[in-house]
Parts: sequence; C-alpha cells; structure tokens
Amino acid sequence: MKKRVIAVSVVLSFAAVACGSGGGSDGGDRALTVWIMEGTNPDSKPFFSEVSKAFKKETGAELKVQYVPWPDAHDKFTKAMAGGTTPDVAEVGSTWTAEFAEAGALADIGDRVGEAGLDKDLVEGLETAGTYDEKLYGMPWYAGVRSLVYRKDLFEKHDLKAPTTWKELQDVAGELGEKEPDMIPFPVVGDNEYILDAFVWGAGGELATEKDGDWKAAINSPKSIKGVEFYTELATEHKTSTKAATTWNEADLVDNITNGKVAMAVSGSWTPATIVADAPELKGKLASAPIPGPDGGMSPSFLGGSHLGLFNESENQDLGWELIKLLSTGSFAEKWGEQSGYFPGQTSLVEKVEKEGDALTAPFAKQMIEGGATVPVTPAYGEIQGKKTLAQMLQSILSGKKSVKQAADDAAKDMDKTFGN
Amino acid sequence: MATEAPAPRRPRPTETAGKQSRPPLPPAAARRARRRAGAPWLLLAPALLAVAGLLLWPLTRVLWMSVQDYGLPEIVSGDTNYVGLDNYTEILGDAYLWQTVLPNTLGFAFACVALTVVLGTLVALLLQRLGPLWRTITGSAIMMAWAMPAVTGTYVWIWLFDPLSGAVVGGLDSLGVVDAGDTNWFTSRLGFYAIATLNVVHHSFPFVAITVFAGLLTIPKELHEAAIVDGANAWQRFWSITVPTIKPIFMVVIILSTIWDFKVFVQLYLMPGGSGANRDVLNLGVWSYVESFAQRQYGMGSAIAVLLTLLLLGVTVVYIRTLFKESEEL
Repeated sequence: MKKRVIAVSVVLSFAAVACGSGGGSDGGDRALTVWIMEGTNPDSKPFFSEVSKAFKKETGAELKVQYVPWPDAHDKFTKAMAGGTTPDVAEVGSTWTAEFAEAGALADIGDRVGEAGLDKDLVEGLETAGTYDEKLYGMPWYAGVRSLVYRKDLFEKHDLKAPTTWKELQDVAGELGEKEPDMIPFPVVGDNEYILDAFVWGAGGELATEKDGDWKAAINSPKSIKGVEFYTELATEHKTSTKAATTWNEADLVDNITNGKVAMAVSGSWTPATIVADAPELKGKLASAPIPGPDGGMSPSFLGGSHLGLFNESENQDLGWELIKLLSTGSFAEKWGEQSGYFPGQTSLVEKVEKEGDALTAPFAKQMIEGGATVPVTPAYGEIQGKKTLAQMLQSILSGKKSVKQAADDAAKDMDKTFGN
Repeated sequence: MATEAPAPRRPRPTETAGKQSRPPLPPAAARRARRRAGAPWLLLAPALLAVAGLLLWPLTRVLWMSVQDYGLPEIVSGDTNYVGLDNYTEILGDAYLWQTVLPNTLGFAFACVALTVVLGTLVALLLQRLGPLWRTITGSAIMMAWAMPAVTGTYVWIWLFDPLSGAVVGGLDSLGVVDAGDTNWFTSRLGFYAIATLNVVHHSFPFVAITVFAGLLTIPKELHEAAIVDGANAWQRFWSITVPTIKPIFMVVIILSTIWDFKVFVQLYLMPGGSGANRDVLNLGVWSYVESFAQRQYGMGSAIAVLLTLLLLGVTVVYIRTLFKESEEL
C-alpha cells in the first residue's frame, strides 16, 4: 500500500513538473534571468522583490534573480559562456566588461542608451570602463571611489587639517607619527594597485597609453615615476607606514582602521559604513577628503563598480533593456546607492549626494564627479591585474629589493609583454 | 612432424589427471580460454570507463590545451588555436622558471619531506615507548593537527607570524630581538618558505607518525631483545633492525609526502604575497594557477601543469623502481 502511494506521488510530481515546464515554455519570453553580485548590498532580497513587483507591473514579465558571490563570479561567467548558459542580464564588474565584450558575450547597448536619452548623464569613469572598441557594452549602475579617510577626533585633538597638497599630506602624516606613536600615520599598502594609481595619475602620469589600438606601458615615464616615488617614499623615507603593510591588501587595511591603529589612509567610499558597524566606538570619528593633487586640486582616483550587461545569447534583449533602465535610473538607482553605500552611475544622482550628503559622504561624491578615472580599458590589462604586476612593483620597492626606477622599468617590460609589444 | 617431436616429453595422461592440459587445445577449448581471458576485462570495463571518463579525458584535454593559445575568446567560441610547442618553449626559456620557481618547488618539497619523515618517525618511536594513557593523549593531540583543514591551519600560522600583532613578533619584540613595526618575514623568500614549511610539516607529520607506528608494531620483539643481549645500543638497533624491517613503509611514506609536497598550493597561495604580489615566492602549482586563472591564459597554465606532472612522474618512477628492487632482494 505504502509503495503504491509513493509510486502515485512520483508519477504525479513528474506530471506536475511536466506541466510546469510546459507552462514555462509557453510564456518563455516573459521571464528574465538576472545575475546579481552578493554582498554589495548587505541584504539585496527585499530590494529585488520590490524591483520584481515594479518590473512585473510594467512589462508583465517574471524576474528570476540569482545571487552570485563576488569571488566565484568570474569563473561562473566563464563557465556559463563556455556552456552557452549565460543569463539575460547580469551585473558585471566594471573591469571585466571589456574582456567579456572582446570574447563576444555581451551585446552593444550604445544605441539603446542613446535612444533613451541617457548618454549625457553617465558617470564618466564608468562609461569609459564600459566602452570597448568605441562601443558601449556596460550600462553604468553603481560605483565607489577611494579618497582620504582620516580620524577626525585625532585631527581635532592635534589641531590638524585635512591635507590639500602632497607636501601637506607628508607633513600631516609626519606630525601624526610624532604625536600618536602607537598608530600608523599613513599606511602604504603593498598588495593593492588602486591606491598607487591615484598618485601616478596625480603626478600627471599614466599606467599605459593607447595609440591606434595598441597599448604601451607608461608606468616608467618620468611623471609616473614621480608619483610612485612620492607614494613609496612615504614608507621608505618618511616612515609614515609600517613594514607589515608591505604585504597588506585592502581588507587588511580596513581591519586595521577598524582596530583603531590607522590615523589616515586612502580607503573606499564603501568602507566607513562597515568600519563603524564593526567598531561602534569610531562612530562620528571618521571624516573624508578628496585625495590631494601635488600642488592642490585633486588626484584622480579609480572608480570601481559594476555595469549592467545584456548578453548576446539572450532571446529577451528588449525586455532585458527595460530591466537595465529600471535598475540604473531614477528611484531604484538612488535606493540601491543608499542601501549599498555606493554611488549611482548617473552624474545627476551623484551630484544630488554631493549636495545633500553628510561630511563623510560628500567628499567621496566630489571625488567621484571631479576626480574619477579608470585603468586601461583592454582585456590585456585584466591579465596584467591578474598577474599583479603593479603590486609586485610596489612590494619590491617597499621591501627594498629594487629601486623605484628599476622596479618601474621591470613592471613596464612585463606589461609590454602582455600588451604584445 | 614437428608437432610430434616434443611428444615423448609430454607427461602421460595419468600424471596430468585433474590438472590443466598443456598440449594444443581443441578449437572449442581455445574459444573457452579466449573467453576466459576476455572475462576480466569485461568485468573491469565499468571501472575502466569511469577512470577514462574522469581522469584520462581531462588529462588529454589538458595536454591538448597546453599546445594552444587558449583564452576566454576560445572558451566562448569553442575554437582551437593551435600553437605547437610555443607555450613549452616560452616556459622553459624563461629564466624565472630556473631561478625562482623550480628552486622554490624542489627546495621546499625536499625540506618538507625530510622534516616530515624525521619528525614523524621520532613521534612514532615515542608512541611505541609510551604507556596506554599517554599514548592515547599524544595520539589524539597529533590527530588534531592532522584533522585541521589546510585553510584554517594556514590562517593560524599567518596570525602567529603577523608582522604587526602576531604572537611570535610580540614575543621576540618583548625580548628585544626584533622591532615589531620594522619586521615583515613574508617579504623575504627564506622567511616566507620557513613559515610555509612549519605549516606543512605540522600538518603532515601525523600521517607519517601513525603509519610508521603501525609498522613498528609488526617488528617481532625478539629481534630487539636479541640485539640488546648482543650489546647493541638504541641507535644501532634503530638502523640495523627497525629501518630494514619496515623499509617498504618508509618508501611509501616518502613517495606520498614527495607527491603532496611538490604540489602544495593552498598553504602558499593564502600567505601574504603568495597569490602573485611577490614573484619571488611562487612554486610550480601556484604559478600554474596564477597563469591560467588569474591571467586567463589557460594554455600556458596547462603547459606548466603538464611539466609539474612530468616532474612528479619522474620522481615517482625512481622511487617505485628502488622499492621493487628492495622487495626482490628481500
């Protein structure tokens, strides 16, 4: 008797599955698969259930959201491309867009963006990162930027002001070192290229330059070297860092700010919220300022964030574009920014944050609009980042194995090899 | 006529009664014998198919990828991009392989194997001398080191040697040996590998200890008693009785340790600078990973993996040959 019940239920469930899939294929063009990265927004589920409702109301289509953890995401995309199982729309890390576009996985959305009248309002650094071969493949969704983060309480105690030139940065760090001997005044982080990039760009240098589609390393140009020199000499000459930081990555830096060991650092706009959540005693004690230029102004800083990409394999590209528009403009874009601690990909929305934001977020917004930049947009640069060429250069200078000039020359040689020169 | 020649030497039918007949078989029997010879293969077929599917096919794929310039565009399009032995010539012609990666791999593996086997054997001898209670306590303690997942263990060692707030630097700082703010062992090749060696030896000596201890239990007590009567000391007894008796066990332990320690990955990759930021400290395994998955040059990564496999095969063949020679002599 029992066996029979099981058999019947098995048959029934098969029938149910069959019906389900039959129904699915009938309305197949009315469902959209989306991949969203996990962890950007502490809890994205309520946000996306709202998006699903709005999307269903607008288009009548279902939204199937899958969450992908950042560390697995690149592999997952690669496998999906190999197996032809890419989603319709996905959040794509801004440094991956060119690579996926070159591989032929993403659809050109330039015309759609133009028709919707959105092309004038895109955040510049993100638009550049989403453009490959003069076509736009990634719709700017959100981004974060690195700026100076410092301990307001210590600066007030010692009557210091946020530095506005490189000389001031060096002096302030030196003074902090004298007055707070148990703290690290300004760590020079060895296993990270983005903080270094700001100083290279600030000095007027470039990582690499393009001419007629060919890239060439420029990290050993005199201007770039000036930037590398200033940044590393903070550690090697002016002792504003610690030897431990030579092998730190950005996560180690955030840990040490959280533990109250760091007085001033270059850190991401998404970090203060996490730091204060982990160390409530730091609430109200953190402030931010744009990364100063050598003689005032601003050093450009890397805009890291995400695009929304439409996949070539998708049969629902029109529907996919509707979703991209819904997510990247208006109230949903604003809300995502508020919840995740990142800035929207539209200049008008970031300007709003700059005007209305508090003392901690406004300087980041200013840096994002006026001093945002991106690394060379070519798949070859993805390889260079994978090899950690610039982190290698930095570590070999910080640990005293190479001089700045020698390390920069070696890094340039390494980069040129990958560029195919 | 020729078939008649050996006839006189054939055993008489009465002698072979009940045994298999050796003269040329009649056709039916030959068929049966052939079938019998085919039967084991038939029975093995499912297992062989599984092995071929799970091991041989990926292995062939890696070989095939190692002669291609294989990147993401090739993965998406499924095209082949044959470049012959270019990947191999580039790797073998790279001074980085000979000056950094290979010495790292070999030096690290041999140091780990030697230390693991020596420490494991010493612990096994200790276990043999202990009473039941202390034997259980010691056994459980070393089992814990063994049971610790490699990732967890590695992070514990990184914390211990953390240049800013680690226990080791803290202790040495209070003794005045080093200055906590001015030390970073992870940046130097020797320091990096010393810490990694500690980690790997700590994680792998329990296996050697338990295996050798099991071998020690098989040595008859009388041998040692006779040697003691003859006036041999512990050192002499170890080298003249223990080592020769359980030599095969040592060989197995050494082969397995060698294979494991050649392809250590997690323990190096997770250490500060080990994932590529410090080019001085990569070994073959990590180099292969960084080339294929971080730089997305799957062809180059495959070629390095093939070289690592060949290196390991070479080492294993030498070991196995000595092992078989030994057992023939016994």
